[in-house]
Amino acid sequence: MDKNIFLVGLNHRSAGVDVREKFALTSVADFEKSLLGTCPLREVMALSTCNRVEILVVADGNRCQDQDISEAVLAHWAETCQGPLDVLRDHTYKHQSLDAVTHLFCVAASLDSMIMGEPQILGQLKNSYRKAVETGTARVIINRLLHKSFSVAKRVRTETAIASSAVSISYAAVELAKKIFGELTGKTAMLVGAGEMAELAATHLLASGIEKLYICNRTYGRAQELAKTMRGEAVFFEDMVERLSGVDIVISSTGSPTAIIRAKDIREVLKKRRNRAMFFIDIAVPRDIDPDVNSLDNVYLYDIDDLKEVVEENMSARKGEAVKARAIVDLETEAFATWMKSLALQPTITDLLRRAEDVAQRELAKTLKRLGAVDDETRQALEVLVNSVSRKLLHEPICFLKRRTREEGSSDRFIDVTRRIFNLDSDPVNPDAHLDRRGSEDDEPLDCECCREDAESGLDNSTKQ
Amino acid sequence: MGLPDILPMLVIGLYFLGTAFYVLGSALRNERIKVMALCLAAAGFTLHALDLASQLAGADALSALTSGRFLFCLLGLGILIIFLLLWWRLNMRFLAVVALPLALVFYATANATSDINASLPPMLSGLFFLLHIGTLFSSMALLAMAFGAGLAFIHLEKRIKTKVGLKNFQQDMPSLDTFDKVNHWVIVIGFPLYTVGLVSGFVWAWLASKRVFSFDPKEILALAILGLYAYLFHQRLAYGWRGKKPAVMAIAVFLLTVLSMLGINFLVPTTFHGFKP
Repeated sequence: MDKNIFLVGLNHRSAGVDVREKFALTSVADFEKSLLGTCPLREVMALSTCNRVEILVVADGNRCQDQDISEAVLAHWAETCQGPLDVLRDHTYKHQSLDAVTHLFCVAASLDSMIMGEPQILGQLKNSYRKAVETGTARVIINRLLHKSFSVAKRVRTETAIASSAVSISYAAVELAKKIFGELTGKTAMLVGAGEMAELAATHLLASGIEKLYICNRTYGRAQELAKTMRGEAVFFEDMVERLSGVDIVISSTGSPTAIIRAKDIREVLKKRRNRAMFFIDIAVPRDIDPDVNSLDNVYLYDIDDLKEVVEENMSARKGEAVKARAIVDLETEAFATWMKSLALQPTITDLLRRAEDVAQRELAKTLKRLGAVDDETRQALEVLVNSVSRKLLHEPICFLKRRTREEGSSDRFIDVTRRIFNLDSDPVNPDAHLDRRGSEDDEPLDCECCREDAESGLDNSTKQ
Repeated sequence: MGLPDILPMLVIGLYFLGTAFYVLGSALRNERIKVMALCLAAAGFTLHALDLASQLAGADALSALTSGRFLFCLLGLGILIIFLLLWWRLNMRFLAVVALPLALVFYATANATSDINASLPPMLSGLFFLLHIGTLFSSMALLAMAFGAGLAFIHLEKRIKTKVGLKNFQQDMPSLDTFDKVNHWVIVIGFPLYTVGLVSGFVWAWLASKRVFSFDPKEILALAILGLYAYLFHQRLAYGWRGKKPAVMAIAVFLLTVLSMLGINFLVPTTFHGFKP
């Protein structure tokens, strides 16, 4: 059964940016539908981002004998993007059955991302899945597979520290600032010089609640320009040191060949600030800030190499966590394989009968306890009664299932629905599931009258009366 | 008012488990273990308070006030109360790492000194008790918190300064600024309390024996501590000391108060503070 799951794709490791650009599916409308039309497939879902394309398909077992499904998908993909099939074949990977499941789980949990642990991919995967559901190309297996992959991603995030530390220079700087100052609200920062990375760090600081941002540049006009876009205040370069007494965080990235902020200046500044802590981030090469500044009390200086080291260390910590995450993925893949096997008629009927017998035995035990001492004959009669009620009740649904599964293509759907109605896989039920699809009129509680404990006791009372 | 004999052992056990689990929870970054540890400690705290109340409610309440067991019990409880205040006002739950073991140590000391009484003349009144013992114990409990915050500050600051990177444990720690705030409040509140406590002691000595200063080792050390504390108070508030220097000094002052409390009371013969059996 799981032999029918295929996944073909390319990512930042298997293909360069030119190939990824050429074969991106972001601007292709209805790729899933057209693929479904040309290949013998039952379900299709495609994910396309700037770093990867993943096409997940479930083949129709009856129609695809001896056909290479992956190759057919590749051919259609190359045709859609009007690119050479050979190039595409050289830069893609193919997975089948449980390998495909594992790969998808790894993608969802961000174990396969360029920056491992970054959460964006999960949102992108959810969007692709929503699209596939809306176009009707995602059905039983993809539904289950994607829901499982979302829960795997959640488990990995909560049970491992894979996403806990900053892995970009600007985030690492913000995190350090928080370790020094606590909350950044009410703090002030100064941006000296300009540069993409420095501006990015300043933006992150602003997003973390920095109250005021001063912008200082040798060319005052440029400072004013930046001040306008970042809602800061421009400062003359000559006034910089004087203004520092009111600044907590300094980000510096000028092109100056010598240090522009010296330790003896900062010593004076500290006196004026009554030793309130300062954090200097020096992104410039050659460095703008005299390294001796770090030896002053209550002053912390990080240059670009220090920050890179922090990032690398966090990255290696993430890699360590990835081993734990991989174990979770393997475990969940196994669980998925078990579910796939149960998607046949016979195991479902067995599970259904076992569930009914369980319920019957439980209720029998309760009743016997309530009745007190009974003779063997009554006991046996009761046992026969509950078992035959449960079996007779299931007789019609089982016959229905047998009839339906003889029909073309609908067996998976009916078996899946049955398993879900009776919750044969003991899945946890999320009360908020499909909230968007629920109408306002069915706001009433989901549990019905007949299965509540108080309904039972009410029944008892009425019989007693 | 008969509390079971097992109560002290129970309190010690609860504090010990609370401390151990809190340290374990911090090391494993497991919030549930930490909460469990705090619940255990809270149970210990309740029983501890009950123990104190039962000592006061007894017929010999006045003599209880001078017994070593009562005083150490009170100090242990005071440390936890100050910790709760800091947790509430400054969100310094992290200080449980210091507060719980100290409460354990002082409560255990209290039970080791149950037969000991301070050799005090019977002039002791409630007002004096509040002025002398209450203020000194409060300021000592405050110093205990500054001690913990100071150690944490020095550790974290060293890691940030030397750029060795922050491990999981340090990532869970509060910021340097928070630790410095603890130091600030301990000095602002603790120093006046310590001064009142000391002055009241000298006034009482004068009332009791017409001598203000008797070159008692306890008095000498207490004055030295007051001098250091005053210097710290001045440097912090008037001169603008922050960060490492006041942290180191607060640690030193706390260690000296412990020396004065345990070392001198037990080992050196003194006029009024001897706990020597």
